[in-house]
Amino acid sequence: MTNSPYDIAWCPGCGNFAIRTALAEALNELDMPPQQIVLTSGIGQGAKMPQYLETNYFNGLHGRSVPLAVGIKLARPDLTVIAVSGDGCMYGEGGNHFLHTIRKNLDIAILITNNQVYGLTKGQSSPTTDRGVKNPLDPQGNPNEPLSPLVLALAMGAPFVARGFAKEKDHLKELIKAAIRFEGTAVVDILQPCVSFNKINTYQWYGERVYQVEPTADRFEAIRTAESWQDKIAIGILFRDEKHPVRNVRDLFPRHTEREDVERLLHLYHA
Amino acid sequence: MEFNLKIAGEAGHGLLTIELGLTEILARTGYHFFATKNYMSRIRGGHNFHMIRIADRPVHALNGNVWEMILAFDEEAERRHRPTLREGGILIDQEEIRQISQIIRHQFAEPMAVNTVLMGIVLSAIGFDPARLADVGLPEDRRTMLGEGFRYAGGKKLSGKYLIKSSLETFLRFDGNQALGLGAILGGCQFMAAYPMTPATSIMNYFANAAKDLPIHFEQAEDEIAAVNMALGASYAGLRAMTASSGGGFDLMTEGLSLAGMTETPIVIMVSQRPGPSTGLPTRTEQGDLNLLVHAGHGEFPRMIFAPGTILEAIEIARDAFDLADSLQSPILILTDQYLADSIQTVEAEIPRSVSHRTCRAYDETYRRYALTNGGLSPLTYPGIGKALVRLDSDEHDEDGRITEDLDLRVRMVDKRMQKAKHMTSLSRKPTFYGNPEAEWILLSWGSNRQIVEEAIWHLNEAGIAVGALHFSQVYPLGPEMIAAWSLEQRKVVCLENNTGGQFAALLKRELGLDVLYKILKYNGECFTVEEVRERILAIMEVKP
Repeated sequence: MTNSPYDIAWCPGCGNFAIRTALAEALNELDMPPQQIVLTSGIGQGAKMPQYLETNYFNGLHGRSVPLAVGIKLARPDLTVIAVSGDGCMYGEGGNHFLHTIRKNLDIAILITNNQVYGLTKGQSSPTTDRGVKNPLDPQGNPNEPLSPLVLALAMGAPFVARGFAKEKDHLKELIKAAIRFEGTAVVDILQPCVSFNKINTYQWYGERVYQVEPTADRFEAIRTAESWQDKIAIGILFRDEKHPVRNVRDLFPRHTEREDVERLLHLYHA
Repeated sequence: MEFNLKIAGEAGHGLLTIELGLTEILARTGYHFFATKNYMSRIRGGHNFHMIRIADRPVHALNGNVWEMILAFDEEAERRHRPTLREGGILIDQEEIRQISQIIRHQFAEPMAVNTVLMGIVLSAIGFDPARLADVGLPEDRRTMLGEGFRYAGGKKLSGKYLIKSSLETFLRFDGNQALGLGAILGGCQFMAAYPMTPATSIMNYFANAAKDLPIHFEQAEDEIAAVNMALGASYAGLRAMTASSGGGFDLMTEGLSLAGMTETPIVIMVSQRPGPSTGLPTRTEQGDLNLLVHAGHGEFPRMIFAPGTILEAIEIARDAFDLADSLQSPILILTDQYLADSIQTVEAEIPRSVSHRTCRAYDETYRRYALTNGGLSPLTYPGIGKALVRLDSDEHDEDGRITEDLDLRVRMVDKRMQKAKHMTSLSRKPTFYGNPEAEWILLSWGSNRQIVEEAIWHLNEAGIAVGALHFSQVYPLGPEMIAAWSLEQRKVVCLENNTGGQFAALLKRELGLDVLYKILKYNGECFTVEEVRERILAIMEVKP
């Protein structure tokens, strides 16, 4: 499933190519039939990911990949559900969904291809753009503090929080596998250099800062690790809590409401 | 014979408890009734009133005349409602309620016992046989409290003052939102995601409670945008799914509605109207969101909009919406309002009980979600069934569901989606005619006004004034075949709606070229009454155009 015959819309050198390969290889190595996998995505360059993989997908609206994933998982707990989209989609337009979906702790993976910029709309500030960065809509420099997505995910109680780097493809592949295997909501923020619109956070910029960490089950330690950004950026599973109770979902498909159930409702609420 | 009761006071007085308690007993003992309420958007205080019309024949509207009995829990209730009491009618005012509380205070520890005693007085006034309380299935202490009411009424010579005969059968009782909830379950709906908003919340309550024991899931979403997307996700994954809100919440869902149109994902959305714009009057009624539903969502895609006028219609329309959504792979919208949502009524008709559900077919690797076919409908299946991969895209897409910017294919895909409009026309629900079929004057209505108009028309025809009425429970699309049988262009057409400009009248003009001569409009947040409709149509008929 690594080879897609389709015309890929990413720029040459885009970090998404390596992320796509890592995701495809992860799915291959997990040995799941593609029919059992559903990818959801929003809109943006990162959100085109499912187009170039051989699985089921629902490529929805900007910011809405996560509520689609929630609906799918609640309806069909037998499916492996992965939401994948960019930083603008997940943390900006879909920020409210990101917050509240973590609270649900359904068994889904949320992958964010984070290039710290809006690519498809050509270079505006994203929620993770560093302060002071100049771009078409912030000609004086971005006046806002960047969001620290993994600190946020940890604060919301996410039981699995990881950061990957597009250039460390095999490391990333293992993170994605661990995230999919993890029972509960797994958040993986992926550093994805944008060669067209982000001239600051380049392969080299990230490469000089990333270092690998081992998982901890201490949430506060993980928050401190996740917070570090300008000098040192931790990649790996920053936090994993196997004991965090995953939300139980009933199997509803293909069961049906029966006539006797209706009789009971009529008696209970209408007689 | 009929008996009209008004229960008025503050939120927190237990007015709703009296309404629910009385309607439960009345339904179980075969009384026909119609109950509705007029309440403020607050938890305590303010001024609310609950109205129950009890009759020896089916009643499904407020009559709008004087009241045979009023329970006034405070000074404001007394001041506002005393002038509407029938001459010689029964008024139990704040002071008398206090006295009754004093009489019973040693007998019952429960502070709200007086409300049950008041219920007993009401029942006594309609000549309810206290021996029948044993059949109702009430706990012993409640029966004793009701008995106190009967005794008190006897002492005041109120027993049987407004005698209403009950029928021999018992009735099921529904409010409009319960009817929509049950209908959805009959339609095989197994998933609802929603965010609370008056007056749609009781649809959610019904569904969430039913879900406890059924293969059904209710999810409270973080907002309406999430709600519609969760429902679309569940539908894509294989379950019949819906969401519900009021106008403001539906505003947020409109991008999701457009997504349903583009991805051809079946979904049912229920919108319970309240007066807007913006927050408006959260607990009152209006029919101001018809234009919103007709036009909601960017881009072009077909949809159907229904507006039930009776409890049975609400059940049937909600049930059938899920078959329609699946067979048309389109959004189906149901428009109701606070009036129907909050009115509890007996249902004299047989309630349907059989449940429909999705049929699911497996496909092989050659499956294409958007295969171009004659008729525009592509085969529908779900992920993880057979060898097919199911790919949906909000971008314009090819037959496989992959993004395309092939503009010739774009045109074929648009045409494919728009072809469904034709199927919708062939599946249209025809309007219902009642009254005098020969009448020169025809009164049009849609949605919750159906039974108010029906009763008003009946009175007029009884009085020798020939009037016909046509009620639309499908308000969009409108095709000429829906009204062809009634030669409306040769009659004098009046349209009745709860909004300011006559949104449905304008839609009839746009879609069917039909000229509405007069409009009967109301937008103060209250429902029409039978008497009001009768008076307003009479006023119009006397004025020649």
